[in-house]
Amino acid sequence: MDIIASLGLGFSVALDPINIFYCFIGVLLGTLVGVLPGIGPTATIAMLLPITFSLSPTAALIMLAGIYYGAQYGGSTTAILINLPGESSSAVTAIDGYQMARKGRAGAALATAALGSFFAGTVATLLLAFFAPPLARAALNFGAPEYFALIVLGLLVSIALAHGSLLKALGMIVLGLLLGMVGQDIYTGQPRFTFGVRELYSGLNFVSVAVGVFGVAEILRNLESEKGRDVMVKTVTGLWLSKADFRRIIAPVIRGTALGSLLGVLPGGGHILSSFASYSTEKRISKHPEEFGHGAIEGVAGPESANNAAAQTSFIPLLTLGIPAHPVMALMVGAFILQGITPGPNVINDQPALFWGIIASMWIGNVLLVLLNLPLIGLWVKMLSIPYRALFPAIVLFACIGCFSINQNVYDIYAIGFFGIVGYVLIRFGCEPAPLLLGFVLGPLLEEHLRRAMIISRGDPMIFLERPISATLLGLAVLAVVIAALPKFRKKRNEVFVEED
Amino acid sequence: MKTNAIKFAAAALLAGLAMSGTAFGQDYPTKPVTVVVPFSAGGPTDTVARLIAEVMSKDLGQQVVVQNVGGAGGTLGAGQVATAADDGYTLLLHHIGMSTAPSLYRSLPYDPQTDFATIGLITSVPMTLVARKDFEPDTLDELIAFVKANGEDITYAHAGIGSASQLCGMLFMEALGTQMTTVPYQGSGPAMTDIIGGQIDLLCDQTTNTTSQIQAGEVKAYAVTTPERLGNLPDLPTTAEAGLPGLQVGVWHGLYAPVGTTPEIIARLGSSLQAALADPTVIERFAELGTVPVSAAEATPAALTEMLTSQTAQWKGIIDAAGIYAE
Amino acid sequence: MAINASTKDLVSGGLFVAAGSYFALEALNYDTGTPFRMGPGFMPLLLGGVLVLLGLAVAATGIGKPDKEEQLAPSWRAIVLILGAVAFFGATIRGLGFVPVVLITAFASAMASRLNAPLFSALLAVGLTVLCTLIFKIGLGIGVPLVGPWLGQ
Repeated sequence: MDIIASLGLGFSVALDPINIFYCFIGVLLGTLVGVLPGIGPTATIAMLLPITFSLSPTAALIMLAGIYYGAQYGGSTTAILINLPGESSSAVTAIDGYQMARKGRAGAALATAALGSFFAGTVATLLLAFFAPPLARAALNFGAPEYFALIVLGLLVSIALAHGSLLKALGMIVLGLLLGMVGQDIYTGQPRFTFGVRELYSGLNFVSVAVGVFGVAEILRNLESEKGRDVMVKTVTGLWLSKADFRRIIAPVIRGTALGSLLGVLPGGGHILSSFASYSTEKRISKHPEEFGHGAIEGVAGPESANNAAAQTSFIPLLTLGIPAHPVMALMVGAFILQGITPGPNVINDQPALFWGIIASMWIGNVLLVLLNLPLIGLWVKMLSIPYRALFPAIVLFACIGCFSINQNVYDIYAIGFFGIVGYVLIRFGCEPAPLLLGFVLGPLLEEHLRRAMIISRGDPMIFLERPISATLLGLAVLAVVIAALPKFRKKRNEVFVEED
Repeated sequence: MKTNAIKFAAAALLAGLAMSGTAFGQDYPTKPVTVVVPFSAGGPTDTVARLIAEVMSKDLGQQVVVQNVGGAGGTLGAGQVATAADDGYTLLLHHIGMSTAPSLYRSLPYDPQTDFATIGLITSVPMTLVARKDFEPDTLDELIAFVKANGEDITYAHAGIGSASQLCGMLFMEALGTQMTTVPYQGSGPAMTDIIGGQIDLLCDQTTNTTSQIQAGEVKAYAVTTPERLGNLPDLPTTAEAGLPGLQVGVWHGLYAPVGTTPEIIARLGSSLQAALADPTVIERFAELGTVPVSAAEATPAALTEMLTSQTAQWKGIIDAAGIYAE
Repeated sequence: MAINASTKDLVSGGLFVAAGSYFALEALNYDTGTPFRMGPGFMPLLLGGVLVLLGLAVAATGIGKPDKEEQLAPSWRAIVLILGAVAFFGATIRGLGFVPVVLITAFASAMASRLNAPLFSALLAVGLTVLCTLIFKIGLGIGVPLVGPWLGQ
């Protein structure tokens, strides 16, 4: 079957009123749980699995997929409005999105996120339709050495996440990497830094750490400055983008989409890097990098597009090879099996209606999301007029309930409090939380791939240079450090020397 | 008449007793029953649990809710059920890991054999020995010779400490008397990815993960570890046929309640489990996973207790000999 | 300021050194392994050492450069009440059940703001409890009983 005929089949399935209905339910639920802090798509899909029993396989999978990418839209909403990212990807959006909101530009930030996501979703869906099998094949060339090199590149480039001291940003990344190592070592089963608490064996929960260092720390920060009046945003100026805004976001959206689409295909953790990588790129090539961290619209447009593109293309390994790229995709595997379909390379041939139907539904889902989210912007922005003193208890509460619902693990709750105070102290002393989160999500991957590569090469580090992809990536990493950091380092060194004299 | 009155009273008393008996049986369950799965949602064990729970809900007339309490190789969720109320509203669905945990974890806070009341076996998922497409040996015989000749130059992937694929690898190496280089992964998915991508040589995993890849020709398959061939992979020989009868392993799943749960409740849950295992949809879905429900005789407390006892002893020997432990 | 240095840099540098030392020292208890098979202690030991060095560097850059802006005083009331509320939630959610825990957590965190009177906080707590019960218990079917075993359910 050629692609056009296949897509025709897909749309005939996806445009079935019942399937449109479930697609809508999916993206609506996704948006809502994305907006609720703490609770993410993983928990929601897990909780809704039983309901899908009564649905046809196509409707069930369309709905679950909708929850996943819908949550990517919704997750940016809380990141922008109340500095509370629900997913690793929206942690980046919080950096500039929240600053825009504080300057009264929440509407513009939300619109940018929605439009960027829609564009990215459309492009990624087309990629999925035309190039899924070859892309999945190409991704299989990535083994442990390549992932290690990719993560090193990502970490070095992402130092740009910080808008203050470079050294502090590095420190926060390393601290994050270390925190990511809490829990049972997957190679030996040795529990590390767990204080003998079995609940910590599977590591610290990302949502707890994120909600702590961003959400709770921000609340503690805001409550120190209330002097008889409410702290919150200035008056909202306009809900929509100006012409100048439009011009500023076009290039970042396109670049973010390209980056996210490519990284999303990699099953070993590429999607995690997408939004971080896009943010760093935008800051690097921007003519006014000093605006980043203080409400640069590019800092929302790029990462949001990258993140949504990656969310869509991360279905590629699942649909074409039956390989789950991350925990949500693993849940989708379970959903397939419960419906009597074993995901694998044969799905595209054995179940063409399902395969193309899901792809077509993703585009329809993205249309629905834009239609749903653009009008909601007004409502979300109104939410900011809720007095902060009534809003923050709700944030605390949602965070606790959401985190608890993921694993029923009370240590996930204690972690919110612990990282709330840690984040608060660190932010007070001039360290920013975003690099810490990046280190935290990448730490386990970095260690896992390094150790696996060394086992495969029987202890020979040359493996990283002998394999062309990893050698190229490491070369890029070195280049990035040399080009970007050298002048800064030199300047900094000079300052230190001058003052020590 | 006096005797009549006595007879009547006795009859009434008996009837009352009988009724209270049935009433007691019918009382349970009066609220939703939680089945704890000690692994994350979407995995093979979770799938088994959800298929069973769906039918048990209809049979019991109350929702049977699957709750995922993952972490620490399944010992976290099991530990939680061990200390839960023994009222029949918190159950545990666990797999072969129930028998290996005491050997892998030195400070297990519960005893799988004494802290649980068994309800019944559910299914035993077969395992398949697969390799990357371009791996040299084509048959199990050739593979055995190749592994014996190349030993540690061969990389064997497994899904982490205590996973079924690790256990299968241990058995395989023990049967051959050779060591390979083992490479742990975070779960079956990434391990399978690297087999398909040709990054690593060998893997022995549940049919849940391997069947579709074998059918599509993405991986090379050598044998299945069950006594009989599989319906959906009819060309794949069993390990016994292919000359390695020592490699027999299935990922058996069982249903448990905290110790102290009354025999009435266990019996009620047992009959519900039996109903689920006879359900056509369950049988059909299990077949797609490459497995079948156990017979009615095995879906009983006695059969599960026996399985748990014998397997715990067997794995203790193998794991201790391999010197592998998690803490 | 009595010392001629950035408090921010000194304290954050100190925190990095402390955290790095903890991870590195604790990692000494684990096997570092060989390059072929790196043990569980290898990466934490390496990274802990790096963090200590970074912490020293951060502190060093702050010497001779006192902070310019004044910090607001921390709100101890907020810190105690919010962290207390979170800890309370964790400690009692299994025992007390959904409704009582949500009610008390909401009230305690609302009281963290000096602007919230007890009556307002109580009303807010009731409202939030209704909202959360609708969303999480009825909407998403979270597996926590409305009233827990400690209260005789």
